[in-house]
Amino acid sequence: MPRYFFNVRHRPGPAGLARDPEGEELVDANAARERALTVARAMIARDRLVTIRDWMDCTFEITDGDGQIVLTVPFSDTVPDADNGD
Amino acid sequence: MSQPQQSTVRNRLLKALTPSDFALLQPHLELVATELRQPLIKPNEPVKQLYFPEVGFSSITTQGSGGKVEIGIIGREGLVGVIPLLLGSDRTPHDHFVQGPGEMLAISSQAFCGAVNESASLHKLLLRFTQVQYVQTAQTAFVNASYQIEVRLARWLLMCHDRLDGDELRLTHEFLSMMLGTQRTSATLAVQALEGHRFIKAQRGRVTILDREALENLADDGYGLPEAEYARLIEGA
Repeated sequence: MPRYFFNVRHRPGPAGLARDPEGEELVDANAARERALTVARAMIARDRLVTIRDWMDCTFEITDGDGQIVLTVPFSDTVPDADNGD
Repeated sequence: MSQPQQSTVRNRLLKALTPSDFALLQPHLELVATELRQPLIKPNEPVKQLYFPEVGFSSITTQGSGGKVEIGIIGREGLVGVIPLLLGSDRTPHDHFVQGPGEMLAISSQAFCGAVNESASLHKLLLRFTQVQYVQTAQTAFVNASYQIEVRLARWLLMCHDRLDGDELRLTHEFLSMMLGTQRTSATLAVQALEGHRFIKAQRGRVTILDREALENLADDGYGLPEAEYARLIEGA
């Protein structure tokens, strides 16, 4: 299974990217996206950091073993689109 | 094999014993090498051996549906396994495993209980250590409820540093997230924040403490209470 690295962009600039040094093995990019959403939901619900004022400003920049960005998942994707509601 | 001498042991609890209490335990102490992640006391099984850490330390964790979370640390200031035996149980629901590899002085629970029954002063010192460990566990609850993850990480690193030789700790973010009870990504963010301030240096699988004083300032009153209680109750400071 390929390994995906769940880096988090929390501010612009080089200091605003927390690099995931370990990664996780998942079947494909789709599974990586689902994993990112699950983790983001858990972080929004429970984890508080001095560094992060608003989780909704954060984005997963998921890379492969070569360091290439495979997909980006904004934490705001955990919230269903407002215009789908009512 | 020669028995350990009180003048050369590194375990602070053994050092704090009266010479006669040390003599009660001494014939039963066996030096064992301990490896990273080695189980010392398994949850819900009778405690067969207790361990005085000489080098390295033990993590105490509880198992939840979301995985393990650390609730306490015992290093060379303590005795792993003492609490259930002293408080009238033969087992504990909590997992105790080696976090920093090294060596520990093991004693069978039978020999241990025999010595405690023989000496009121030994019993009292161990009850005092139990009180310190209770304060540490309560402090973990306080810190987890009150502080952000960077602060919790600073406290945890200080507690490890107290029990280490040197400044380097081998750990993955995966493991760290278990210790802090957070998502792995949150542990990564907290490590990056502390590294950005140059309080620590993080390399793959390793964290080095660079500025202990800064970590103490960050940890604020999240760190220091059980440590002060230990000094007061065990070492008479």
